[in-house]
Amino acid sequence: LDTRRKHSSIMTRNNKSNGKYCIDFSDVEAAAGRIEGIAHRTPVLTCASLNQQAGGRSILFKVEAMQRTGSFKFRGAVNAVRSITTQQQDTDTKLQFVTHSSGNHAQALALAAKTANCHATIVMPNNTPLVKKAAVQDFGATIVMVESTNEAREEKAEEIRQETNATFVHPSEDPRVIAGQGTVCLELVQQVKELPSTPALSAVIIPVGGGGLAAGNCVTLRALLGSNVRIVLAEPSKLDDAYRSFQAGQLLKHAPDNTLDSCADGLKTTLGPNTWPIIRDLADDIITVDECDILRATKFAWERLKVCIEPSAGVGLAVVCYSETFREKYPVEQYPNIGVVLCGGNVDVLKTADKMKAMGIV
Amino acid sequence: VIFFLIGLLSLPLASSFVHHAGPCFQQRYASAPCRMTADAEEATIRTPSTSDSAKGLDLPSYNDVVEAAQILEGIAHKTPVQTSRLLNEELGVDVFFKCENLQRMGAFKFRGGFNALSHLTDSQRQAGVLTFSSGNHAQAIALSARLLNCQATIIMPHDAPKLKVQATQGYGGNVIFYDRYGEDRQLIAQDLQERQGMVFVPPYDQKYVIAGQGTSGKELLETLASNEYNNTSLDYLLVCVGGGGLISGCALAAHSLSPNCKVIGVEPEAGNDAQQSMAQGKIVTIATPPTIADGAQTQYIGKLTFAIMQDKVDRIVTVSDDELVREMKFFGERMKMIVEPTGCLGLAGLRKLVSTGDIPAGSKCGVIISGGNVDLERYCELVVG
Repeated sequence: LDTRRKHSSIMTRNNKSNGKYCIDFSDVEAAAGRIEGIAHRTPVLTCASLNQQAGGRSILFKVEAMQRTGSFKFRGAVNAVRSITTQQQDTDTKLQFVTHSSGNHAQALALAAKTANCHATIVMPNNTPLVKKAAVQDFGATIVMVESTNEAREEKAEEIRQETNATFVHPSEDPRVIAGQGTVCLELVQQVKELPSTPALSAVIIPVGGGGLAAGNCVTLRALLGSNVRIVLAEPSKLDDAYRSFQAGQLLKHAPDNTLDSCADGLKTTLGPNTWPIIRDLADDIITVDECDILRATKFAWERLKVCIEPSAGVGLAVVCYSETFREKYPVEQYPNIGVVLCGGNVDVLKTADKMKAMGIV
Repeated sequence: VIFFLIGLLSLPLASSFVHHAGPCFQQRYASAPCRMTADAEEATIRTPSTSDSAKGLDLPSYNDVVEAAQILEGIAHKTPVQTSRLLNEELGVDVFFKCENLQRMGAFKFRGGFNALSHLTDSQRQAGVLTFSSGNHAQAIALSARLLNCQATIIMPHDAPKLKVQATQGYGGNVIFYDRYGEDRQLIAQDLQERQGMVFVPPYDQKYVIAGQGTSGKELLETLASNEYNNTSLDYLLVCVGGGGLISGCALAAHSLSPNCKVIGVEPEAGNDAQQSMAQGKIVTIATPPTIADGAQTQYIGKLTFAIMQDKVDRIVTVSDDELVREMKFFGERMKMIVEPTGCLGLAGLRKLVSTGDIPAGSKCGVIISGGNVDLERYCELVVG
């Protein structure tokens, strides 16, 4: 895709009146204010041996694996919850929130509600691993189990929303969530400025699932760095709805026969009507990587970076280290300094290590 | 020159270097009962002295730590300070981790290694540096030497873990293998020093090594004293103890920057030679301890490190291997960090002291996480239990 056309739709700081997208940069800035002191300002790490693996590039990792609840999702959830609580008139009744998720968003919303003295109900498919249920319960949320179909989850969530007058918080489509996720690169850009003798980022790699993280940070990066930064989204080839949508120029879902059998279990959801237009217009590229490369990159991060990332976070690193497409389109000489968002660290290390072994990754 | 002299002077003491037929820790590689102390990952040539007193020791001071920090500026990572709300709630204290597992080459050792090599003269660097270790010290020296354009030679047993050999070679170190049952690495080292003028760099008992390690404590204290942490002063600083380089360096920093802070050492139960030494007022040597904390399998602490510890360390406590595994799981699952068993000593010690009430609720506690060099297979082996 011709990247030049991206420049014509660069977000200006205050085009709220434009209304072209569900959020603008001022929403991200507001989110930053709401999450301050609640979400962690996660570290930016560098690793010489990973730079070597990446062909001599200088990688700056934004380690959202170290975020509260173990993923960036906490930011969006807190922003959503705190957007409501500040409007709350009656402080006697506990505000209710509801969502359907078995993943990182479930934990994030549970804790976000707890820290704001609210209550969250999480609708989960009945095949959710016990450890994920336990994590959500630990954060004080109520779990309601349903059949593991999209319809069952959505129906139950709607039912609870009506019954308890709860606010429904979608894991990726909620504008407050998207704005919250956009604070990741707001911090990253600031932190890179603070590093001695480090030039600004020439590219940022962001994994894409439902698109909340990608969309929020497209808005942020265009506002802060304009067309001087390449935004490259990273996706597993087995879950390539965003890639196909980007190629086709229209929103496409997973193929009906796609078994969604990827180790990157956080990226199984698809883009939606809020996240797609932002990505379509503001991202430069979407690049896919296969399962083996994702796990190789994940192992590398464990052993070299010493950070416990989940495979969904390995997707971005895999693009940088192993993608020929990336290397050709973004040569090291022209894109020496890149940011990689390590989105989360909620992983069963033992199980994933077995998968790595089975794939012959040593 | 000093290293060279030490090398020469230790010749007559080679026979007094303790060789044990005693229990050897059977690690993940099988080995026959060893004749030598070779399983100690962090051994050193004894610094020669006519007496065991602290007289005449060239001890580092806090100024040496400050100087080391300047030398390491822009070279060593200023590793993050991390906290865990969950842990603080659980223990009732405020814990601040200095994450040296995120340091270059995966452990704090880089600081001391680089600082030590930076103090060599050009001709010394040209002659090359030498050490024996299969652990983090080897990698630290190899990497530091490469950065300073000098050749590092590391003497390692044939059966050293492949990953450690590869890592050391990957950093440009020249590995010389020896048969731990048939050859004497001391003699190999001495020979290289005499014939090729190589400079021996000990893993802990050396002024600039200690000063370098101390920069980790200095950074932690300075970070906490900043606005970001509301000018926090530590009540306690918990540090793992192998040869004592890290704790003595950190004690120098704490003594100057935060005099009310109590520095507490943590050792594996099976390897409590530092604890015994502190109790007896003299350096106690033990057989290589059987523990998963392979960075703390030293048989004796150093003369310099002991002198500093006697003066500036409050006490030493010990923990079991099970307690270390518990912390490995905690770090991985809750803080998303890979920490090697030795790196877990600090937190395990803290947990113990909180449970006994020795560290009261509300205390501000610093913990140095020393390193994260554990390969995936070993990590899984340990946490699955």
